[in-house]
Amino acid sequence: MLLSVRDLRMYYKTKMGYVKAVDGISFDLDQGESLGIVGESGCGKTSISMTILRLLPDNAEFKGGSVLFDMGNGPVDLVNLPESEMRKYRWRGISMIFQAAMNSLNPVYKVGDQIIEAIQNHFPDMPLDKARQKVAELFTLVGLDPSRMDQYPHQYSGGMKQRAVIAMALACDPKIIIADEPTTALDVIVQDRILKEIRKIQRKLNMAMIYISHDIAVIAEVSDKIAVMYAGKFVELADAVTIFKQPMHPYTYGLMHAFPSTVGEKTELVTIPGEPPNLLNPPKGCRFAPRCPKADSVCSEVEPEYRELEKNHFVACHHPVQPKEVVRFYAE
Amino acid sequence: MLKFLGKRVLQIVVLLFIYVTVVYWLIEAMPGSFVDQYLLNPKLTPEIRENLKRQFGFDKPAHIRYLIYMKNFLTLDLGISFSYFPTRVTTIIAERLPRTVFLFVTSTLVSYVLGYNLGKRAAWKRSGLLDKTTTFVGIVFWTIFLPLLAIFNIWLFGVILKILPLNQFIDPNLWKSAPLSAQTIFIRLLLTALVFLIVFLIALLISNRLKTIPAKKTVLYTSSITTIVVSIVIWILSGYSTYAWDIIKHMVLPVLTLTLYSFAGSMLVMRDTMLDVIREDYITTAKAKGLPDNVVRDKHAARNALLPLVTNFVISLGFTVGGGIITETMFSWPGIGRAYLEALNTQDTPLLIGLLVFTGIFVLIAHLVADVLYAVLDPRIRY
Repeated sequence: MLLSVRDLRMYYKTKMGYVKAVDGISFDLDQGESLGIVGESGCGKTSISMTILRLLPDNAEFKGGSVLFDMGNGPVDLVNLPESEMRKYRWRGISMIFQAAMNSLNPVYKVGDQIIEAIQNHFPDMPLDKARQKVAELFTLVGLDPSRMDQYPHQYSGGMKQRAVIAMALACDPKIIIADEPTTALDVIVQDRILKEIRKIQRKLNMAMIYISHDIAVIAEVSDKIAVMYAGKFVELADAVTIFKQPMHPYTYGLMHAFPSTVGEKTELVTIPGEPPNLLNPPKGCRFAPRCPKADSVCSEVEPEYRELEKNHFVACHHPVQPKEVVRFYAE
Repeated sequence: MLKFLGKRVLQIVVLLFIYVTVVYWLIEAMPGSFVDQYLLNPKLTPEIRENLKRQFGFDKPAHIRYLIYMKNFLTLDLGISFSYFPTRVTTIIAERLPRTVFLFVTSTLVSYVLGYNLGKRAAWKRSGLLDKTTTFVGIVFWTIFLPLLAIFNIWLFGVILKILPLNQFIDPNLWKSAPLSAQTIFIRLLLTALVFLIVFLIALLISNRLKTIPAKKTVLYTSSITTIVVSIVIWILSGYSTYAWDIIKHMVLPVLTLTLYSFAGSMLVMRDTMLDVIREDYITTAKAKGLPDNVVRDKHAARNALLPLVTNFVISLGFTVGGGIITETMFSWPGIGRAYLEALNTQDTPLLIGLLVFTGIFVLIAHLVADVLYAVLDPRIRY
C-alpha cells in the first residue's frame, strides 16, 4: 500500500477549546489510484492534507494515529519523522496543488525558477540546464508554452497559473499529488479542461491522487474512490459508482440528491435542513444525528462505528440507507 | 521607464521651485533680521546703519530680494552667509556635509540592517522570546526622549566606563601636530566606505546569479572581508590610521545612540509586513516544496516583505544630509544639524534657507531613487 492513514487525529487549539478538525480519519491509497474527498466547507478536508504533509499552523496539535507512506523502501510513519527527514518527503513523495493557485506562486520570482527551485532542492546534483529542460517538458505536458518559463506570475492568466502550479506539483515525480480544490477559482470551461488534463497526466504517469473539493461534480469526474466527510470524520467511503448509485449514509444520500443531474431519471431535489455542527463542541453521538431524518435515540447517544458494511464500502451509520429506500428530508 | 523618469524629473524641478519659494517666505516671515542688532544700536550713526542695510540687501523690499534669490538659485548659488561673512553658504555646506553624512549614513545603515534582521526573525517566530524582547526594547527606545538617551549613553560609556570619548568629533590634542586636516581624513574615510559599498553591491549582484546558497554566501563574505582587510591595511600603511581611528572612536557613541533610538522604526515595519506575507499561500507552497525553514523565511517571505522597508530606507538616506539638530548638539558634532541651529539663532537667513533647500533637493532625489528601486525589486511594478 502506498499510503495508509489510520485513525488520524489533529485538533486546533483555540481559546474556547479544541476544534476537532481531523477526528479519526482512516483510508488507504494505492499506486495509480485516485481518492476524492468531498464535504462542506469547514468540515476539515484541507486539514487532512495539511496534517499528512505536516504543514500545520502553530496552534495545531497532533492527537494520534499514523500516516504510513511507502516510497518503495518500506512504509515510514510520517507523523513521527523529524522535521529534517520530513522535508525530504515533501514534494518528492507527496506534492500538492493548492486551493488558490493564483496565490501559490511567489510574485517576485520567475515561474520557471520557482519550479527549478523545487527540483534542485530535492536533486541538488542536477545541473541547471537539465533542470530547465525538465521544466520545459513539464510545461509542454500541462499545455503551457515552454518559452513562458522566464515570465513572472503576474504575466500569466488564471488558467495558466493553474497549469503552472500543476507543472510545479509534478516537478519531482511525486508518488502522490494532493489537489486541494484545484479548480475552484476558474470558470467552468477552463475548470473542465484542467480537470481532464490532470486526470490524463495522472493515468499517464500512474500517480496516486487525492482530490479535495466541496463540489461533488468535480470529484465524480476524477476519482476512483470517494470519501464523504462530515464534521471532521469520514461518514462513507466507497468506489465512485457505488457512492452515486447506492449511498448508504443519509448524509451522502442527501448530497447526491442535492445536485440536479441532466442525465438519468428525474429525481426530487433534496435540501438538508440545519447546519453542520460546530467542531468546537460536536454532538455526542453521531455528528449528523441532529439533521438526520432517520435518527433515533441511539444516534444521539452512541457514536456509530466506521465499518466495512459491504466489500470496500465503509459507512459510519446506525441505520444505513437500504437499496431502493427513499429518505425524506423535511425542513423544520 | 524613460518616459516615467522624464516626467518625474520634471515634477521634481517644479516641486523644488515651489519648495524654495515656500521656504523663502517662511523664513522671511520670521520677525526681525540679522542686521537688527546693529540697526537698534544707538552708537551707530544713521549713515552707517543705511550702509549696513544696503550691504546685507535689506534696503530692497522682500519680493525683490526673493527674485534675486531665485535668480542666484538658478545658477546654484545659495548666497553668502551673514554670520560667517563672507563665506559662501555652499562652502559651509561642503565643509560640514562629510561629517554629517558619515555619521548619519552609518547609523541609518546600521539601524536598518538591524531592523530588517530582527523584524524578520521576530515575525517568523511570532510571540516567541525574540519577538517579545525586541518589540518591547524597540518600543522603549523608540518612545524615549532622544536627549535623555544621549546623556545616558555619554554618562555610561564616557564617564562611568571611560571607554569612549565624551563629545566632539576629534581629539584636539592629537590633531595639533597632524599633517593633514580632519576634513581630508573624513573624506578619505567616506571614500573607503564608498568603495566597500560598491564592492558589496557588485558581490550582491554576482551572488544573485549563483544558484546554491553556500556559493552565494562565499562570494558575499569573502569579497566583504577582503575589502575590509585590504582597506585597513592601506590605512595602516598610510600612517594616518591613528587619526582615522580617532574619528571612528568619536563616532561610536552618536551612532549607538541614533541606532538604539531608531531601529524600532524599521524593525516594526519589517515585522508587520512579514506577518502579512507569512499568511500568503506561496509561503505554504514553499514549505510544501520541502525547502529548509530559513530558505522559506529569507528567500520567499523576507524578499516580499522588503519592499516598504527599502522605500523607507532610501528616503531616510535622503534626510541624512540634513543631519540632526539634537544629536549633533548633544555630541558637539560640527555637522549640518549644528549649522541649522547656529543659523537660526543668529538669524542667518541665507544659510538657513540654503540648508533647507539643500536637504530638500536630496529628499526629492531619494524619492526618485525609491521609485526606481521599487520597480527593480517588484516585477509587478512597471512604469
